[in-house]
Amino acid sequence: MATLNINGQTMDIGEIDPSTPLLWVLRDELGLVGTKYGCGIAQCGACTVHLDGAPVRSCQIPVGNLSEQQITTIEGLAADGTLTPVQEAWIEIDVPQCGYCQAGQIMSATALLNTNSNPSDAEIDAAMSGNICRCATYTRIRQAIKNAAAKMNGTAFYNAAEGGELA
Amino acid sequence: MKLIKENTLSPELPDFFQEFTKPTKANAGIPDVSRRDFFKISGIAGGGLVIGMAIGNSPKAKAQGSELSTLSPYVQIQTNGRVNLFSKNPECGQGIKTGLPLIIAEELDCAWEDVDVVQADIDATRYGVQFAGGSLSTPMNWMAMRQAGATARAMILTAASQQLDIPVSELSTSNTKVQHAASGREWSYGEFAELAATIPVPDPSSLTLKSFDQFKLLGRRFTGVDNYDIVQGKPLFGADTQMEGMLYATYTKSAQIGGRARSFNEDHIKAMPGVVDAFIIDEVGNPKGFNTATGDMFSGVAIVAESTWAAIKAKRELEIDWDLSNAETATWDDLVDQARAIQHSDGEPLMMLAGGPGASIPTDNPASKGDAEAVMESADQVLSAFYEYPYVSHAQLEPETCTALYENGSIEIWAPAQIPQGGESSAAALLGVPQEEAAERVVLHQTRIGGGFGRKLANDFVSEVTAIAQRMEGIPIKLQWTREDDMSGDFFRPGGFHSYKAALDGQGNLVAWQDHFMTSTMNDVTPMTSADLNASVFPMDVIDNVKLTQTMFKNAIPTGPMRAPASNAFAFTFQGFMHELAVASGKSHVEFLMDTLGEPGLANPENPGSMHTGRAANVISEVARISGYEQDDNEAGRAKGLSFYFCHSGYVAQVADVSVSANKEVKVHKVWAVADFGFIHNLSGAENQMEGGIIDGISQLFNSKITFENGIIQQQNFHQYPLLRMPQTPELEIAFLQPEEFSPTGAGEPSMPPVLAAVTNAIYNATGERIRKLPLYELGYKLV
Repeated sequence: MATLNINGQTMDIGEIDPSTPLLWVLRDELGLVGTKYGCGIAQCGACTVHLDGAPVRSCQIPVGNLSEQQITTIEGLAADGTLTPVQEAWIEIDVPQCGYCQAGQIMSATALLNTNSNPSDAEIDAAMSGNICRCATYTRIRQAIKNAAAKMNGTAFYNAAEGGELA
Repeated sequence: MKLIKENTLSPELPDFFQEFTKPTKANAGIPDVSRRDFFKISGIAGGGLVIGMAIGNSPKAKAQGSELSTLSPYVQIQTNGRVNLFSKNPECGQGIKTGLPLIIAEELDCAWEDVDVVQADIDATRYGVQFAGGSLSTPMNWMAMRQAGATARAMILTAASQQLDIPVSELSTSNTKVQHAASGREWSYGEFAELAATIPVPDPSSLTLKSFDQFKLLGRRFTGVDNYDIVQGKPLFGADTQMEGMLYATYTKSAQIGGRARSFNEDHIKAMPGVVDAFIIDEVGNPKGFNTATGDMFSGVAIVAESTWAAIKAKRELEIDWDLSNAETATWDDLVDQARAIQHSDGEPLMMLAGGPGASIPTDNPASKGDAEAVMESADQVLSAFYEYPYVSHAQLEPETCTALYENGSIEIWAPAQIPQGGESSAAALLGVPQEEAAERVVLHQTRIGGGFGRKLANDFVSEVTAIAQRMEGIPIKLQWTREDDMSGDFFRPGGFHSYKAALDGQGNLVAWQDHFMTSTMNDVTPMTSADLNASVFPMDVIDNVKLTQTMFKNAIPTGPMRAPASNAFAFTFQGFMHELAVASGKSHVEFLMDTLGEPGLANPENPGSMHTGRAANVISEVARISGYEQDDNEAGRAKGLSFYFCHSGYVAQVADVSVSANKEVKVHKVWAVADFGFIHNLSGAENQMEGGIIDGISQLFNSKITFENGIIQQQNFHQYPLLRMPQTPELEIAFLQPEEFSPTGAGEPSMPPVLAAVTNAIYNATGERIRKLPLYELGYKLV
């Protein structure tokens, strides 16, 4: 019986077609539906998860290619019940519109900040350019990443209360 | 005291909304908010006050049997002081799940942190029409939500008065508490919840609603109520529905639109690993036509499997024999050739349509007015121009998906649908459930929608899962469209053509307008859905001499409403040509627009929903001021452009600051937007809609084009239909004018249209090249 290391746990996935993309194993077999299907061809980034800390498109990874890697999904970020600075910033800036792409956006942003604690605009753009937001929340995503970086670095950050607080 | 005047909505509800608001099997009609018996009170388990809008008994509520569904209220106040507010309409990213409860909370006078928002189930008898479209959710519910909140507050106060033996006149409320100023005491609403549930419902006319300056919550910024769950990937969306024993389905339709499946490689497909069943479903009704409630659906092959992946793998190996005798044969390039060939001639006189956009019947009233031809004969200048734009796909990020369980003649559905009541009607029609039984036998639960943009106004995917679930009786079925299914199976924003002519007098004033509009029809009588032109588009609404003619090309490539239907294209063509005229007039662009608008007043004094020229002028002058548009700082290769549009009762002016390099790389540096949507009740939500609308418009302008050859859609996925990404996103500056006398109108749609012409007008100002055709990539431009 095959197993995967997901969000710090070893999970049985039973006898499964090894060509099955990780995306569908997460969603259909393990009930981890936070990772989303958007295009199936690595164009939209809705299915982004971390593989040993690096952002990858789970629609392109056959589960048969996985063995010991540590997989982190959106459900694993606040596994202990405490939101990460990125998740907090997303709420404070009111980033989501429909919200469907945001798990992928948050996984890409989290991976960026894990390797670069103070990214420039250009570095943010580059790291996030694989994630489509059809509702076009890009300006808020950019701001939320900066706020999250500031939180992590203990520096001041943009306050949405300027001109009206965000409840 | 400042009063807030109710905005008159314009335009009227389009046909595809009216269709499901008619009394039908699952719909007892629209509750009349003024009725004395509108509010129903019931006790809930554990005690507390429940206020819901109910007319008579709801059979559906009985059928569902659960605590919340049984009551289906707007307001629950629990004895522990927590407040549950029910949001009636589908959430598709427009922020309504936050926006409507906020309005209730304001009049209920509760602290927002004491509120839990619950998505209401579908029940027309209690909630009236429930849909996400037309930028109508806020304006249609503004007063009803205020009354719901004020009613609950009045009942709490009455109960408190009785319980405390203090006159109501000595009590007040604040932050979910009843206060007694004389003694300095205060009590949680929860302490009076049980008694309040026994208080007679006050007459709505006895309620005193707050005035604008008494609002404590409304007008501030609020983050979305689902954001905490969204950032953790909790199951919220239609695609996230999971049920014990669920199977997964794909549905494959003819690439040549309208083909009917005759046979397929059934033995091979059924032998594939994980495949449980595979079968043909026949065409129902007229699926090429946009429909929300009738159950019309295309023929195709359903594959039911143990996982989505097994269903997709089998789908890829389908070999289907299609009967193409009724399939579409249209080719986009042919339509372009036909349109260009007749651009210098007139079409048939355009007639006003009954019932507003999307309406079905041309009237005997010509849309033309005055004598444009005569005025042009004697005019100082006459300009003409031919504008064209392509079909466009919605490309919402959640491909169509829906889950259903059919058992013993009844069906339960979980749908990310913009018109969920139409989804119920569709299922009832397909299953042959008679009207009087539909409420009990067809139950649809609304889920969060992973993007709508108008695509999920159609309920074809609900119909499809209904047909599949019926065949797989007793097993929950989740239907998942692939992106390719979605992009080739859309109800597209229709392409179209405008051959314009307009006249200026000796003072550079716009005195006559002519448009030969070219569009598509499947019945030779009316244009396809959202492919119609009406005479109220600015500037035709404010000038005296307008001649409108129309030519309709016969085809049935499916079309439907997309964010700001018609306006999403007209703003580019009309406001592009207006800028051409402004340049020719010798006036500044702003001056030309102001002179065309004329004195402040309704464009059509007989129609209170028509454009108010004064509100239009205000947003134009304000965006010019904050952007510095009138400063003469344009330089070769970099300039600003302006555009204004009025639709969905909203006034929006936008200015784009754009650079164009020698090799036509375009950088949109910044967009300024000023809007008048009346009072803004959640500032963050309104800003979100404006930000998204602007970027959506820029994305369409540069990159969006759907083509078809012999009835086959040529684009399948995002590599052929690119959407704007973060590096191409401009800086945005947004301001709202909020005339105090106007209640809120919707922001989702009017935010988008003007920006296309703002950018193309800027490109003209920077380079001298006039853009009359979309998308820009076809003209060699590249957005960077």
